[in-house]
Amino acid sequence: MAPIRVLMAKPGLDGHDRGAKVVSRALRDAGMEVIYTGLRQSPDQIVQAAIQEDVDFVGLSCLSGAHNSLFPKVVELLKERGAGEIAVFGGGVIPEADIPGLRAAGIEAVFTPGTSLEEIVSFIRERVKKDHA
Amino acid sequence: MPSSWQRQLAKAISKIENMDPQALSEAASLPLDNSSVQIIGVTGPPGGGKSTLCSQLIQALAAEHKVAALLVDPSSPFSGGAILGDRIRMQALVSNPNVYIRSLSNRGNAGGVGSSVVSILREVMSYSFDYILIETVGAGQSEVKIASIADTTLVVSVPNLGDDIQAVKSGILEIADIFVINKADLPGVDSLYTALRESAQKQVDGWTAPLCQTVALEGLGIDALLVEIDKHWQWLQQSGRLLEKRKFAAKFEIMELSRVLLQKHLDKVPAEVLARNLNRKDINLLQRLDEVYAEILNLFGEV
Ligand code: B12
Ligand SMILES: Nc1nc2c(ncn2[C@@H]2O[C@H](COP(=O)(O)OP(=O)(O)OP(=O)(O)O)[C@@H](O)[C@H]2O)c(=O)[nH]1
Ligand SMILES: [Mg+2]
Repeated sequence: MAPIRVLMAKPGLDGHDRGAKVVSRALRDAGMEVIYTGLRQSPDQIVQAAIQEDVDFVGLSCLSGAHNSLFPKVVELLKERGAGEIAVFGGGVIPEADIPGLRAAGIEAVFTPGTSLEEIVSFIRERVKKDHA
Repeated sequence: MPSSWQRQLAKAISKIENMDPQALSEAASLPLDNSSVQIIGVTGPPGGGKSTLCSQLIQALAAEHKVAALLVDPSSPFSGGAILGDRIRMQALVSNPNVYIRSLSNRGNAGGVGSSVVSILREVMSYSFDYILIETVGAGQSEVKIASIADTTLVVSVPNLGDDIQAVKSGILEIADIFVINKADLPGVDSLYTALRESAQKQVDGWTAPLCQTVALEGLGIDALLVEIDKHWQWLQQSGRLLEKRKFAAKFEIMELSRVLLQKHLDKVPAEVLARNLNRKDINLLQRLDEVYAEILNLFGEV
């Protein structure tokens, strides 16, 4: 079976990259191909990279507090460029109160500090199963 | 809008990479002898600055040309997954409408590239690029397959990797069309230069590989390197070597596709034989395997 491809991106000016790296390694160890794009990406760059890489998922990591504007922008641009079927999820330091709004904006799941890596891997696997069903 | 053709190309590459039979045979129907596109391979040690160098080359070339880059990183031998990180060095290029960048896992293959890379090249070539760059997995001594695929192979070395002689001994130097000493800002350049000059001066089939110095991080030496890349291109065309190189690539493609298909059989057939025989009460596999062996021979005879 074809490996699941995930683009892991750090939108905005946030320089905290430990979480993104830890999650990237966990996904690799679960057999996925993770394209790691590094720090300080604009939503436009993230979306263009996602299209060029033909990923199934875009994972966004943000610990700076800018998630409410950056995450929905990625979903919006993906749809605008005809790649709306790419699933967007994310994590980082994100207040519980913001999560419903992000979900409503099309971020399929949000993982906050302390989330186990198994939980993240199984979210992706379940989501893929749903897609193929 | 670049997104739409890029999306189409990206999806086609995935199908080929995943060995989708229809996508493979469609790719196989595309020509490989297009002489308006130069295929540039970039190989060298892990962390040698290959991606940074590619980024500079792409930046310069994309001012007037359409450029594609295939960036290969290794897969994990344990999970088969991979972290593909070459793009980190290419952030500035992602929104350039002249540039298409694709990260690829080597999918467990030795030699620095995956087995479907030439089929992918056929597909990419059909999108009328002027240049296609291929960055290999960080290479040691045996990652020389790129030379069978690229028109122009750049071998990157860096000073003070411990032992300049090591670099000279490894087979990878023999595949260079152009030698690049990157990180020329670091101490030890002179002794590396001296060590490499001997290999560089050798003429092979009428081409003498030049020796360039770059500081990719700062964009130094890139223009001079581009001049050599172009000289090699002119030579390939004038000498007729270009089509010979492409034939090499096609040969590589046939060998790799056959190997992958055979491997699938190899994985399947013994497993089936094993499943059939493992719990047989009438023979003891520890004592005698002759019946099973005969069965395997029989099966492979049919393939
Ligand atoms: C380590 C750390 C740093 C390190 C960062 C090192 C690095 N390279 O990453 C350093 C010291 C550099 C740093 C600097 C700063 N920091 Co700091 N830092 C932290 C700290 C203590 C831990 C973060 C961490 O690495 N956690 C470990 C990783 C593994 O966890 P994680 O990233 O949360 O990831 C998990 C989940 O969130 C989730 N996840 C994360 N990303 C993703 C992505 C996807 C796709 C998925 C599925 C899941 C997922 O999964 C992971 C596993 O569970 C946090 C406090 C905290 N408790 O979070 C503050 C914190 C994030 N920092 C903070 C601040 C303010 C700063 C500075 C601005 C401080 C300053 N004034 O200089 C600077 C800014 C740096 C910059 N350029 O952006 C604030 C942010 C406040 C906010 N959001 O409102 C925090 C929350 C501290 C606080 N309570 O005030 N920091
Ligand atoms: N001093 C110096 N550092 C450089 C130069 N070029 C690249 N680097 C640094 O070398 C490191 C590795 O660069 P990459 O471009 O990722 O190297 P790579 O060969 O692609 O690495 P892999 O793909 O992981 O094998 C980075 O920290 C670069 O900033 C240079 O000319 N001089
Ligand atoms: Mg690299």
